[in-house]
Amino acid sequence: MHSRLYKPTLIWLQGVTCNGNTHSFLNLPYLPQLLERFEVLYHPLLPCTQSLAEIARCKRGCNVLVFEGAFDPEMERAGTTLKQLVGHYAGEAGHIIAAGSCASFGGIFKASAPERNSGLAFSGEHPDGPLRGRVGKVINLSGCPVHPEWLGYALMSIADGRPVAVDDLGRPTALYRHMAHDGCLRNEYFEWKVDVEQFGRKEGCLFYEHGCRGPLTHASCNRTLWNGVSSKMRVGTPCFGCTEPDFPRRNLFETKTNMSIPEEVPVGVSKRAYLTMTGIAKSFKIKRLEERLIDDD
Amino acid sequence: MMTRALIEHIEGEASLYFDTRGDKITWAEIAFPHFRGMERMLEGRKATDALVITPRVCGICGHAHLMATVRAIEAAYAEAGYPVELTRKAKSLRELTLVLEMIQNHFKWLYLVIMPELEKLGIEGLAPAPLKGAYAAAQATKILALFAGQWPHSSYMIPGGVTCDPTHLERIQAAGLLDELIAFFEKETAGVDLDTLLTFASCREFNPLQSDFGRLEKGLIAAGMHKKGMAYDRFVVLGEHGFTVRARLKHTRPMKADASQVATEAAVCRDEISHARNVRYGKHFYEVGPLARAIAADNALIKNMHRRYKDSVYTRVMARVYETALLLQRARKLLEHMELSEPSYIPPVALERVTAAGEGIVEAPRGPLIHRMRLVKGVIAEYGIITPTQWNLGSSVMSDPAPAQKAMVGAVDIAEATFIFRSFDVCSVCTTH
Repeated sequence: MHSRLYKPTLIWLQGVTCNGNTHSFLNLPYLPQLLERFEVLYHPLLPCTQSLAEIARCKRGCNVLVFEGAFDPEMERAGTTLKQLVGHYAGEAGHIIAAGSCASFGGIFKASAPERNSGLAFSGEHPDGPLRGRVGKVINLSGCPVHPEWLGYALMSIADGRPVAVDDLGRPTALYRHMAHDGCLRNEYFEWKVDVEQFGRKEGCLFYEHGCRGPLTHASCNRTLWNGVSSKMRVGTPCFGCTEPDFPRRNLFETKTNMSIPEEVPVGVSKRAYLTMTGIAKSFKIKRLEERLIDDD
Repeated sequence: MMTRALIEHIEGEASLYFDTRGDKITWAEIAFPHFRGMERMLEGRKATDALVITPRVCGICGHAHLMATVRAIEAAYAEAGYPVELTRKAKSLRELTLVLEMIQNHFKWLYLVIMPELEKLGIEGLAPAPLKGAYAAAQATKILALFAGQWPHSSYMIPGGVTCDPTHLERIQAAGLLDELIAFFEKETAGVDLDTLLTFASCREFNPLQSDFGRLEKGLIAAGMHKKGMAYDRFVVLGEHGFTVRARLKHTRPMKADASQVATEAAVCRDEISHARNVRYGKHFYEVGPLARAIAADNALIKNMHRRYKDSVYTRVMARVYETALLLQRARKLLEHMELSEPSYIPPVALERVTAAGEGIVEAPRGPLIHRMRLVKGVIAEYGIITPTQWNLGSSVMSDPAPAQKAMVGAVDIAEATFIFRSFDVCSVCTTH
């Protein structure tokens, strides 16, 4: 454990971004306590000790680099290209955090300029980003935006000097070993293959017809809720798979099916076995799951 | 001689280029250097994909983009001969979450931007506390997330309604959280209870307030901001909601507003490539945002300030902070009257049947946000976004300055000019998208 007196220096840089990760971070309930553990040299919104122009001169380094947004080598911040900025600070930093899917894999802004933009270490699922070869040093916190608690976990681990284990895509296993499906309140409907009849209902599963990628997406959105209270599926919105390297996919509100069975089956499940199980599950007629849960509103 | 200033902490950056005589600002041009190509990436996608992509235009007002998209798709449905029916429940849920996003925006702007920046001008006694803004904003978005699943980047509005199906459990949770947020606002921000603040009709009533809002009011006067930063004293409000009045105003005189008169042109900046566009109504520039909304709605306090200090920085800033109070009250009313027995969603006909154009207009935190789309069999052929900051922060020629340019001319120095610039609540990512 590092002494509490030691404060790692932190710089938060932005590539091609919507600032969604910055704003998501501000929702962290223990933000003031977390900020106490770092010396924030630069952040695009929070109080910090240096200006962007000073940071862009690349004179000093930092212990922790947080990068938000897709990497476009030619893009400039205060007259310095991202290539120079990332090259300098990533070289100096002991820890690099790619905050959000754009910084992790390219995300939305790789989709807008695929030939130019990428993530830091990855481009899509391939380790082809400018920081390739530093997989492990670069912690990918994918998600569009990053969940504040995931960022809190990674930064607090760094502040405490605790190593963060990551998966093949550089994502902390503690956060991404689960599927977004885990903890979903619609799991009983998923089990018995009862689809939501239509949007706007709390009853039914969104996986079969309505585009939900929960069983195909590594994320803990339903274990650690968004804004402390909810998640997409809890409000009837399908999971769009925003933590995966192929986000944003197309036709996001519908499930591609084959003979009314989803073409992609849950991660790790054999397709043949899944088809058999689906047939059996569907043969049950469970009255409780076919009724409205609450009709006395 | 042009002097460049890099403006940051504005959801990205902007460059201001100043002509000065001595220190005094005689001319200013604005460049927004970053461009992301949001509109082009939507082409060829199914219209409903835009409900996921457009919130990602902006991390601070993505919900407004979501609502503009859903309204544009619904307008295309109507244009194609399949009007979309919305229940009162769906409408009030949409309005509630939009209002909550505006509240978080205004809290952040007050605490993270305006108070610290005003202190930098040498104003004492403001006691800026940026993290208060993060706390209050997080509280507002927590309420929003009870219905929309998450913030930022929810996609819970869909053509025909909303995806959520709340019960009184969520409504009561939301009301409790909102009461807490209002209590924070009353104690820390206002220094007076919400209902009393909403009866204020003169700026004199701020005199006894020992609160952030009170200190801000005195600080703005101390900085001379009641005499600075006037733009055209012309305003536009276009979004239609329970809390707005659509109007175009010359001074305080209302006229009809017709969105078909809104057009854009490339911004002018001689020293740097800018990706921004200017927006005009007819031939003229107009100011948009909370000040415009307050005057259109005939708000007694803001009209009193406007009568004394015109469309100065003082009036513009006070209108935005005061709007927080109006929106908190609006959120409370919406929750109290939430009708939960109706369906959340009425399915429209298949999107593939829609070949038509649609326009969606929303009042975002900074003013009217317009999304225009053309669909061919439900697929996006063209997409256009006009953001509120493009209205206020255009950059044009000396004979015809955009509102922020006009407001900055005459400032005593660059520090003051940049504060005036920030009084419009700058959002770089929206300006260029």
